[in-house]
Amino acid sequence: MTIQEIVHEATFGEVGLSADECLKCNVCTTACPVARVTDLFPGPKYVGPQAQRFRLATTLPPQGASTPHLTSPDATVDYCSGCGWCTTVCPADVKIAEMNNRARASMKAGHRPRFRDWLLGQTDLVGRLGVLTAPLANWSLHNRLFRWLIELVVGIHRLAPLPMFARRTLRSRLGADRRRGAADVEPPPERAVVLFHGCAANYYEPHVALAAIEVLRRNGYETIVPEQVCCGLPRISNGLYESARGRARTNLGSLADYARRGYRIVGTSTSCTHTLKAEYREMLDLDDDDTRAVSGATWDICEFLLDLHDQGRLDTGFGRIDATLPYHAPCQLRGHGIGLPALDLFALVPGLDAIDLDHDCCGVAGTYGLKKEKYDIAMAVGEPLFRKIREADAPRAACDSETCRWQIELATSTPVKHPIEILAEAYAAADRPAVASSGALAEATPGR
Amino acid sequence: MPQADVVVVGAGLAGMTAAIALADAGARVEVVARGHAATHWTAGGIDVAAPRGSETSAKGVKRLARQDRHPYAILGEGLPAALTGLRSVLATEGLDFHGDLADPLCAIPTAIGGTRRAAILPTAQANALVQWQSSERLVVCGPAGFKDFWPDAIAASLRRPAVWGSEADPDASPSRIDAIVVELPGLAGRHNLSGLDLARFFDDPRWRADALERIARAVDRSGAQRGGGRIALPAALGLADHAAAFDEASRILPLAPFEMPLVSPSVPGLRLYAALRAALRRRGGRIAIGEPVEGIAFEKRRVTSVTMAAAVRDRVIRTEGVVLATGGIAGGGLIGRSDGRLVEPLLDLPVEAPPAENWLAADPFDPAGHPLEAAGIRTDSSLRPLDAKGKVVLENVAIVGSLLAGQHYLVERCGDGVAIASGHLAATTLAPKASVSVESRRAPAAAKDTVGRQRAGTRR
Repeated sequence: MTIQEIVHEATFGEVGLSADECLKCNVCTTACPVARVTDLFPGPKYVGPQAQRFRLATTLPPQGASTPHLTSPDATVDYCSGCGWCTTVCPADVKIAEMNNRARASMKAGHRPRFRDWLLGQTDLVGRLGVLTAPLANWSLHNRLFRWLIELVVGIHRLAPLPMFARRTLRSRLGADRRRGAADVEPPPERAVVLFHGCAANYYEPHVALAAIEVLRRNGYETIVPEQVCCGLPRISNGLYESARGRARTNLGSLADYARRGYRIVGTSTSCTHTLKAEYREMLDLDDDDTRAVSGATWDICEFLLDLHDQGRLDTGFGRIDATLPYHAPCQLRGHGIGLPALDLFALVPGLDAIDLDHDCCGVAGTYGLKKEKYDIAMAVGEPLFRKIREADAPRAACDSETCRWQIELATSTPVKHPIEILAEAYAAADRPAVASSGALAEATPGR
Repeated sequence: MPQADVVVVGAGLAGMTAAIALADAGARVEVVARGHAATHWTAGGIDVAAPRGSETSAKGVKRLARQDRHPYAILGEGLPAALTGLRSVLATEGLDFHGDLADPLCAIPTAIGGTRRAAILPTAQANALVQWQSSERLVVCGPAGFKDFWPDAIAASLRRPAVWGSEADPDASPSRIDAIVVELPGLAGRHNLSGLDLARFFDDPRWRADALERIARAVDRSGAQRGGGRIALPAALGLADHAAAFDEASRILPLAPFEMPLVSPSVPGLRLYAALRAALRRRGGRIAIGEPVEGIAFEKRRVTSVTMAAAVRDRVIRTEGVVLATGGIAGGGLIGRSDGRLVEPLLDLPVEAPPAENWLAADPFDPAGHPLEAAGIRTDSSLRPLDAKGKVVLENVAIVGSLLAGQHYLVERCGDGVAIASGHLAATTLAPKASVSVESRRAPAAAKDTVGRQRAGTRR
């Protein structure tokens, strides 16, 4: 894609033109977690629909595409974390977050990406190398001297939350036959789902995917794990659209056939599943049969389980978990527009007192909070959330999104679990003789 | 499919009032809205009624209720109780209001140097409600470089006697009006400083102690405090920590302070929304912003479910009732079509509206109000929508707020009162069936409903 095409797209596409609906009411600014804590970002209205008018004006005739303005009139758009709250609260349906993301991409188009931003986009490459060298990688990435060096050389903040690499990837733990999923041994779509595990579950937290597989098995679903790569979201967030499209095409090539055959694609990462559902279309402008098929077949794991429950088909034989569980709904979940299914599921677990923490954003927003110049902003954005979790004084908290979990764990020293881990634990509790105490159960996370 | 007893569409004052009252009645409520609503734009007071020629809100309500097409013809009687109820809900959340229905409507000075008539205002604006004594001064004070509040221009405009109204007692204005501009810490050279930014500065106890000291010193230096009077400040005295910020301002400043609401984003409006939201959540109500309603399904004159747009697969909530709080033309509750029709987009309810050739008034500031303003949905006395023949269209739908036909809320200043009274009434219309436990409800009319209810019985 040429630079001019990107500029054209950013201005004339559905996203760009929605600026015309902006009333300038500033509701988006009131909801922006970043503008709340820093002067470096003036707010979504200013860099979004307001700046968009300039972008539109400079590319409309008579100037035409021959004199495109390549950069956003306001470079502070780079401080948008992409949490999406502006789009959520806008009463006029302006696609503010999407507009800002595109503006950032067009600002960066034509330049070689900064090494740091490129690196943060390569979650699969980093993951593969990290797992190969896990003991060394984990030691160095959590060594203060190394982190200081990394900050100096690469620009990743020395205190930012980096996860631990797993010793083995999820895929290697599951074994070759499961991975390949040869068509002749596959159970039919009524008895199986396709798992999109994403980078987090493959390289860092295989236990989350294993918990999902166990919960699905309990409800009569086998799990098929076809070939897949990073969903591409870290690349989109860092303005690397073309490379993200490559990842998207690989995934679509592998998943579309399953989708067409009626399999549902289930994921434990809310951001990966949201990318499959919406961002291939909205951000990468992929609009073919494969994209539509995969989008329509994709489910967040909790959304899927709640749907089973609504059909009266969820095994509700959960054991007791007597605990308070503070829950943070990640920003990406709101993009799904599915409500808060994890809370509905938690309500089925006897003894479990899940509290909706009701805070907008933990701050990290994928890779945003890892960056040297944005780390302090990210921590300030999440601080009210961290305070609520500290005050709740609960043994654990829960959150659907991996980067949020790592951010909250780092900031609060409270272990943060994926909801599916809690549910798997509740099933396990039902299987054990009744010696249930919350202390004993806390050790029982499967897959560990 | 999730289940709610009542789905409230719209998160403005009317929708939130209805949702809170329904939750109080024991209903499972879910508020859904495409975005934030007029709460974020309005001045944060409660405008009940201020038509020309009425000295109090109560008299204004009576006058409007006499027009039999006005919402107050239905709502007027229930208004005092609804207002008292909501005020106590908000007070629990730390947001107190002063003034009442029987109090005189006063000329309140505004941030553009005009006045508007009001009687019920939040604590931080309430000092503007007290009648001006002949010796009293008004000091308009704002931070330097703040583009939304120009003390010199405001004071200059307020010095014109005509601003204080021909109906008002000529004595009931300040004896002298001064402007003071103060350099506040950390604001120099800031671009795009909004009332919201300023309010967040005031949330910081150390910053605000310093800022209030500077304001107090500036007032002292000007000598404006002699003889007593009041000081008008931009409505930005804190957001999360507003009560403490206003207390401190009252203690430290040599004159009695009051806030002047600014252009959007409105800080007093944000405080109101925060209090409403906290009250709803405290009662177990749910709220989902950013999920536009795509459609509402009904069978035999009863609404059965509400469908929201999601990333893929619509999200459907099965429900026993719907409160439609989607606003009027400004809020998107009514949409003007190019063929000259006004439509209600969610249920295609019959809209009472003037014919297209009468949409435009000769005088845009006609004291009688704009003809299109009165457009809306006609209802029965339980707020259920009616067709042109006066027959109830949907049994379990209640219309609230500015979607109600017959009001000219801009000139009558009745929008908040109609919102609160209709929200309250909607709860009594829809709650009786909803407040009973799921198992003991009467048998539903439609077979499809039965399935839904049994499912509901298994949830939670």
